[in-house]
Amino acid sequence: MGRTALRWIAAGNAILALAVALEAARRPRYGGELRVEMRAAVASLDPSAVSEDPVALGAQRQWMPLVFETLIRLDNQGHPQPWLATSWTHDAEHKAWIFPVRKNIKLHDGSTWSPAGGSITISDDRPIEQILRELAGARSAVVVKAEDGTLLGTGPFRVARWDAGKSATLVAHGRYWGGRPFLDSISIQMGRSLADQASDFQIGKADAVEIAARDLRAPKQRGTTIANTPPMDTLALQFDGGRIPAPVRQALALSIDRASIHNVLLQKQGEISGALLPKWLTGYSFLFPAERDLPRAKQLVPSPQSLTFGYERQDAAIRPIAERIAVNASEAGITLRQATGTADVRLVRLPVTAGDPWLALQDLTAVLKAAPLSPAASPYEAEKALVESSGVIPLFHLPRGWMLSSKVKNWPHFEDVWLDSGAAQ
Amino acid sequence: MAGLRGGAVTFRTKLLFISSLTVAGAVALVTGAVSISTRRAFDAIDRERRQALLTQFRDELAARSSEVARRVELAASSRGVQQIAAGAAEYDHAQTEAAAAALDFLDVVELDLTIISSAHWPARFGYKNDWQIAPDDWRTSDVFLARIPTPEGSVMALTAVRPVAGGKALIAGGRRLSPELLKSLGVAPGMRALLWLPPGEIIGAEGPVADPQKLASLIQDVRTTNGEATGTVQWTADRASSEAFLAMPITRAGTLTGVLLAGTSLSTQLGLERSILRTGLVVGASGIVIGVLLGWWTTEKITRPVERLAAGARAVAGGDLSARVEVLSRDEIGELARAFNRMTEQLLEQRDRAIQAERVAAWRELARRLAHELKNPLFPLQITIENLQRSRDSVEFDEIFRESTTTLLAELGNLKTIIGRFSDFAKMPAPQFEMVDINEIVRGVIKLNFQAERTGVKPVLELANEDTRIQADPDQLRRAFGNLVLNALDAMSDGGTLRVRTVLHDPGVRLEVSDSGQGLTEEECQRLFTPYYTTKQHGTGLGLAIVQSVVSDHHGKISVSSASGGGTTFTIDLPAAQPDPLTPTGEIA
Repeated sequence: MGRTALRWIAAGNAILALAVALEAARRPRYGGELRVEMRAAVASLDPSAVSEDPVALGAQRQWMPLVFETLIRLDNQGHPQPWLATSWTHDAEHKAWIFPVRKNIKLHDGSTWSPAGGSITISDDRPIEQILRELAGARSAVVVKAEDGTLLGTGPFRVARWDAGKSATLVAHGRYWGGRPFLDSISIQMGRSLADQASDFQIGKADAVEIAARDLRAPKQRGTTIANTPPMDTLALQFDGGRIPAPVRQALALSIDRASIHNVLLQKQGEISGALLPKWLTGYSFLFPAERDLPRAKQLVPSPQSLTFGYERQDAAIRPIAERIAVNASEAGITLRQATGTADVRLVRLPVTAGDPWLALQDLTAVLKAAPLSPAASPYEAEKALVESSGVIPLFHLPRGWMLSSKVKNWPHFEDVWLDSGAAQ
Repeated sequence: MAGLRGGAVTFRTKLLFISSLTVAGAVALVTGAVSISTRRAFDAIDRERRQALLTQFRDELAARSSEVARRVELAASSRGVQQIAAGAAEYDHAQTEAAAAALDFLDVVELDLTIISSAHWPARFGYKNDWQIAPDDWRTSDVFLARIPTPEGSVMALTAVRPVAGGKALIAGGRRLSPELLKSLGVAPGMRALLWLPPGEIIGAEGPVADPQKLASLIQDVRTTNGEATGTVQWTADRASSEAFLAMPITRAGTLTGVLLAGTSLSTQLGLERSILRTGLVVGASGIVIGVLLGWWTTEKITRPVERLAAGARAVAGGDLSARVEVLSRDEIGELARAFNRMTEQLLEQRDRAIQAERVAAWRELARRLAHELKNPLFPLQITIENLQRSRDSVEFDEIFRESTTTLLAELGNLKTIIGRFSDFAKMPAPQFEMVDINEIVRGVIKLNFQAERTGVKPVLELANEDTRIQADPDQLRRAFGNLVLNALDAMSDGGTLRVRTVLHDPGVRLEVSDSGQGLTEEECQRLFTPYYTTKQHGTGLGLAIVQSVVSDHHGKISVSSASGGGTTFTIDLPAAQPDPLTPTGEIA
């Protein structure tokens, strides 16, 4: 063989070795602890518990499926998919439903969870077509209470340590029916401000931290890995009961210049909306008005009004928006005086807790302490009724952003997340 | 009351009062003089200090203005502000630039004053700048005072405006007129600097001044005169909170943009004045106490002899002519005491001589009366006996003897009667008290004396209807009342009215016997009760003496009043009950 042929063989071997090395690098690895920080202070992962703190509720709904699973899950299009149940059948009238359950589902204490007959039957006098959607909800998760009172789930992680509202450690469930997760454990620090999270991320104390929507651009430019969800939080003004007259509430809604806030303060992240649920979830959010009409607002408030105004001061993403809203409102003759504790109106984050409008609205109904939704109503009608009855003024839908260290792979599917120990920090 | 005698202020009290007043007055005078001079000295010093503070304040303000201008220019030339002006920076990037330039306020605005980025109020991006800056000031290089709106309210700031990005935008920056500015003046203790800013804010080194309206009139004076003004403000009810101010205007183009105030607490001055006053009071009080003690000692030396003299005089006035005053000194008071003693000695001698003379006169009167009384029956006795001697050989001797013996017996009887009266007076028995109705006594005596028709005298009885019973000796009362009635009848030889009146008179009964006779002279009234004194041709002068004796024994009082030609009234006051026999109290008015 000539020298040229040898050179080609050597080059081929080198390329092959590199390809093998690259392939090895991309292959998921078991082990490691994922360190996560977040603002929310979650009191419990119990699926039946509905936190009054919307941020905590959103976090609970995000993390709960790692521990407790449902029979059905909704896919990205909102279609029900088998999960603990392998399939379902029903009678012609949709009154009786049978859900065969997977075999060999292990609870976190190692015991097997197996319903009698290997399936679950649900029936009613009336047709229950919505049963699939309801079974996909967090409140329908499978929870078994151990003799010592511990709540046992079937998810890929079990709760090894839970310091309510402060920190938690989730450890991989080795006998998970879907296969052991790659991570050994997930360490969660709760109640951390965005500034503290950013600081911890910078010094390598955390692998995944939250980041405000408006701040997404800068770290991305620095090369930091950013995980951005679809709009999952609704920024809204929530009034304290019905004390504030409807014209004042309406004038406040009409006085807010959402466009300026979206363009400047949110750096065009998320979307302007007058609806509680984002467009990607419902498709009808444009039906809720969100335009500014200052002359009309002034007409509605002929005399100066003064309201106390509250917001989460630790939330750096919310504070400038609140200040801008106060400036906008003052143009309509409404003075918003910043208050701690109880306030006439608060700027809040309302979480979108589910991929199904109904499930999300159910949680929002609980958070807003509104009347139960009418089952017969369409999602639009139900949402419209919820907005009107609760007096809430939706403003924006914001994505949830995460800054991830370079070793975190396969985010945000925690079952598949793994840590690349060879990646640069 | 101490210092009063019979309602009059004593000499000692007056003396004490005058000495105390003198001491207190002197102390007050000195205290007042010291206070006034102290206050003037303080005022002069304070004026100088306030003036110096205002000068320092003005210089500091000028230095701060230069500093603000420098910082705004620094910010205007920074890359960050250029990026803001070009729209290439975050909406709140002005905060970073303001912090770098150490400016409290920073707005980067477009030429139409639309805010591109605001450091102190980031949420106002897109709005028009609404600092209170006059249109001309956007083109000036001066530093001026402007009121700047913030989320917490508007504040005054030293402000400067500069162009950026080649004049495509403007930067307006400023530093708050904060209490730190006033703190940096390093004012002396007891002083402070304040800054009044329109429309009515007043800040001090500790922040906004509470109750700024108390300075309103001073500020108004500055506004009116457009010059310095002074005034004093009392912040609370306590005078120690008073503060004297010197106010100086800050003007720009003839417009008042602020007022500097230099204040001096008057607490030190007032404290010193109080201390002086307190010292004065203490000294005054001590002086008064010492004055009182000295005055007491002095007046004791002066007034004690005077008081003794007064006591001696009162004793003499009370009839004690043996009273003597101790002579304690050789001064005028001592001489006065000696003169007093000589006077009382002379009075005593005169009284003794008068008593002696009176006694002699009484004996003479008694002798004269006895001689007179006895001479009348003796003369018939002598004549009768001489008749008997001459008629011894007469045939009519028996007849003459019988008549003569009859006459002798009659005249001897008269002699016996006269001697008996004198004996009775000498032997007035002690009264035997029992309950007696005065009215009954009166009626009995009147009835006895008016049994026979008496020409021309009409008795009139005005007897009390109340119970007129008293404790008395009825026989002695009848005798005394009878004497008065007989006396009255004698005074009305030509007829008249005898008026007898009884009334209740605390503590007993009053009896009045009035005649309508010629009345008595004053001398007669004075001597009427003297034994053996009589105004009648044939009286013994014992009747009224007996009446007085009876009244005295009954612990009563008798008096007489008379007017010439208007009759005479005897008034007897008798007690209802007799006191302890050991303490007789009868008296004569």
